[in-house]
Amino acid sequence: MANFKKLIKDIFAFKEPKPQEEFILKEKESEKIDDVSNKNEKSPVKEKKGFIRSLFTRSSNDEKDSGSSDKKNNKLEKMVYVSKDITENIDYLKKRFSIPTNGDIVLREFDILVKDKTISACLIFYDGMVNGMLINLNILQPLMLLSNLDIKDKGTENKNISEYIHKNLVTHNQVKVSREFDEIIDEINFGGCGVFVDGIDIAYACDVKGWQHRSVDRPNNEIVIRGPQESFNEVLRVNTALIRKILKDEDLVAESVSIGERSKTPCSMLYIKDIANDSLVNEVRRRLENIKTDYIFDTGELEQYIEDNTIMPTPQIIATERPDRVASMLTEGKVAVIMSGSPFALVMPTTNNDFLQSAEDAYVRFPYANLLRVMRVIAIFMSLLLPGLYVAITNFHHEMIPTDLLFAIEASRERVPFPSVVEIIIMEFAFELIREAGLRVPSPIGPTLGIIGALILGQAAVAANIVSPILIIVVAVTGIGSFAIPNFSLGFSFRILRFVYVFLAAIAGFLGITFGLFVQSIYLCNAKSFGVPFMAPFGPKTNSGYEDQFFRAPIWKQENRPDFLNTKDTKKQPKISRQWAKSDKKRGK
Amino acid sequence: MEDKVIFGKREVISLLLLFICNQLILGFPSIMSNSAGTAGWIMTIYVSIIALCLFLIISKLYSAFEGKDLLDIGEFVGGNIGRIIVGLIVVIDIAFIISIKLREYAEHIKIISFTQSPIDFLVLFFALGMIISVYFGIEPLARSAAIFIPFIAIGIIIIVAGSIQNFELSNIMPILGTGSYDIFVGGLPRVSIYSGLISILFIPPFMGDIKNIKRIGILVITISGTVLTLGILAYLLVFPYPTSSNTALPFFELSRVLEYGRFFQRIESIFLLIWSLTGLIYLSCGLFIIVYVFSKAFKLKYYRPLILPVAIILSTLSLIPKSLIEIMYIDNRIIRYYSWIVTFGMTLVLLTIARLMKRKRGGITKNGK
Repeated sequence: MANFKKLIKDIFAFKEPKPQEEFILKEKESEKIDDVSNKNEKSPVKEKKGFIRSLFTRSSNDEKDSGSSDKKNNKLEKMVYVSKDITENIDYLKKRFSIPTNGDIVLREFDILVKDKTISACLIFYDGMVNGMLINLNILQPLMLLSNLDIKDKGTENKNISEYIHKNLVTHNQVKVSREFDEIIDEINFGGCGVFVDGIDIAYACDVKGWQHRSVDRPNNEIVIRGPQESFNEVLRVNTALIRKILKDEDLVAESVSIGERSKTPCSMLYIKDIANDSLVNEVRRRLENIKTDYIFDTGELEQYIEDNTIMPTPQIIATERPDRVASMLTEGKVAVIMSGSPFALVMPTTNNDFLQSAEDAYVRFPYANLLRVMRVIAIFMSLLLPGLYVAITNFHHEMIPTDLLFAIEASRERVPFPSVVEIIIMEFAFELIREAGLRVPSPIGPTLGIIGALILGQAAVAANIVSPILIIVVAVTGIGSFAIPNFSLGFSFRILRFVYVFLAAIAGFLGITFGLFVQSIYLCNAKSFGVPFMAPFGPKTNSGYEDQFFRAPIWKQENRPDFLNTKDTKKQPKISRQWAKSDKKRGK
Repeated sequence: MEDKVIFGKREVISLLLLFICNQLILGFPSIMSNSAGTAGWIMTIYVSIIALCLFLIISKLYSAFEGKDLLDIGEFVGGNIGRIIVGLIVVIDIAFIISIKLREYAEHIKIISFTQSPIDFLVLFFALGMIISVYFGIEPLARSAAIFIPFIAIGIIIIVAGSIQNFELSNIMPILGTGSYDIFVGGLPRVSIYSGLISILFIPPFMGDIKNIKRIGILVITISGTVLTLGILAYLLVFPYPTSSNTALPFFELSRVLEYGRFFQRIESIFLLIWSLTGLIYLSCGLFIIVYVFSKAFKLKYYRPLILPVAIILSTLSLIPKSLIEIMYIDNRIIRYYSWIVTFGMTLVLLTIARLMKRKRGGITKNGK
């Protein structure tokens, strides 16, 4: 009851809007690089809190404190720094990695002979995540066998053991030296190998990742006929290398960020530093760094953490599996985020037009690309509005159908007992069901589903007079239209909105559809993706950057980067990019 | 929060064009035909020129107050009371017009294809659209207007161009219609068709860097004058005089005579989309001006709480007239006759006083020096 009262109050009473920090991508002149840290943000809010609220917060803090202290009591006492005593380190590692309960962790103890002294040491790694040969040849062999070689370096006498091991013994290219236990353990968790040596208070973490992974494959979802046929896989560095391979530009920066307090999933934030707007880069970094969660697995989750508006049906970040597409968007001044374990990269900010484009648009010639784009827009309108229009026309606007067609529709609907709304909702529901089932069904049963779908929904439904044949055509065309949408997420949003339009058309015909379009456009015009208006460059209209938006200009005409991205370098190419044409003319003269 | 909203020239022009040209699809052509007979189009040109002249005077007077809106000028003249009086006059004026237009749009839609739906249901649809869009503020509304205006323009061009085959030159004869007196003297109050121009004087705070409302105003009056003239000319060329002054939905009638081949004989329902879209944008814009002016006049921090009550008041008011005939009468005899008093009359008086006061104050300070 109390909830109901609150709900009614929430709907009708005015609530003062909460002051919310909204990020807006500002123009270059007024650009301020404000990398607001979390602490600074929180402190003024705390000061504002009233007495009663402060009492509450204090109590909740107390709770948290007590909760965490309980946790600490249950857990083992944490060692912050590596101890000089190796037995102490080994004991701690055993507890921390639950040895011997944990089956896949390997703790190998051995001795090193350094400067005629025998020192005990150990190394620890996860079996299966590392390359065993690397450990054997580059870590164990030099430490165990080659350490007593006479190294011809006079300086070695003066070096301490830790430096000697690091500089002379471990013949591996990526070695991290640290005093902090957590740092070493993080490396071990991510396919590293920790080396602890008695008598020194530092440890080594060698990067020996070697787990099994999928090789770089053809893209599964964004298929093109012309253009590169490579897609991302689940390995972060492979993915960054795929992009670097395309861009070959030292200004391409791949900043490392780790997300997830427990999973510490490594991510890479990519941008071209002399093109991308600094405040945009800072904003993406700020959002990434301020995600507080324990585990994160895929960029699909990351997208939901950093997007501007959760309720809006339209996605605000583009997810792509094509390195060439990411590279081309980076050159426009956008920022990409790649996550270890996810074969999809996120690119932001995104505008409505980005979702209507496919990777192929840039690779095929200008007239073909525009034909494709027009087809796609028609497909979108079909998938969004066709069922709604059908309902509107059959219920409200019979007069606009030519008489012969009207007869045909009415004759086919004569024996159908349902009103057209129910009819279309049944069919759309069945279609969505087939689509979902088709995705989830084990592949051997796949053909059965096709037969059931085609037979039951196609023929039997018509034969049984449940739906009219015209409606089957409407639903089929709608379905085909939705498959032509290049972005998977956008297709989803239209699938949801289609039902809204059917509903609106059922209650008010074309007026309802117009109402829907109007509200949707207001909603889209109000939306922002990382400070960039979602409907840019059409709403608001910007000065330049129209060459590759709704239609695509010939490639030599695409001189400017989109204005709404406020890039540092606005020019893509000079006014005359096909210099040969110019020089030929001159020669002719 | 609201003051941060800034939009560009194109958005402003789109909004203003919709604010003025929307009447083309309402009763405007038959009103013009009613008052000047076959010379309705000449009267439109004449009225546009007068509106342009009046606007030039206003912009000249306004030039001393760049970046300020009408309420600021009211405050400059008469302090808080001045601001509140100006605000209330504008609010009442626009609320009256919008409530009548709300009903008119609903009635038109009802006649076009919802003959069996109750009128309050249709009013509700428009009111709901207004509430939702104004809730998001003027920024998305202006952007949507800028996106939709090409489609609306294409629709109007299709109607006008498609009816060319039905043009009959003798329909606009005699050229001067019911006589030059009716056009040039009797037609003077018809400058009220530009009453929507008052909104241009509330736009400067949203405009950011672009302070030159003069150019925008001239452009808007020229474009809308051309559109209205061409629209009414096409209408008068198709329908002969006595008929043309008696139709309730002149432009819809025009779209009904369209025929593109055998298959597309009755495409007028498509124009229902354009009709209702124009209506939704126009009415939402009107509602925004009402709540914005009201909140600014009374120095309220937020305008959002006003949206729902004002929308309810407007839709209630719109349901008071008994029939479409009464609505058409109010539109023709009151709005299109007297709304110039607020748009041009009050603005001119206010700006003149403000200008004089500014000069006087300026003079005092100069003498003081």
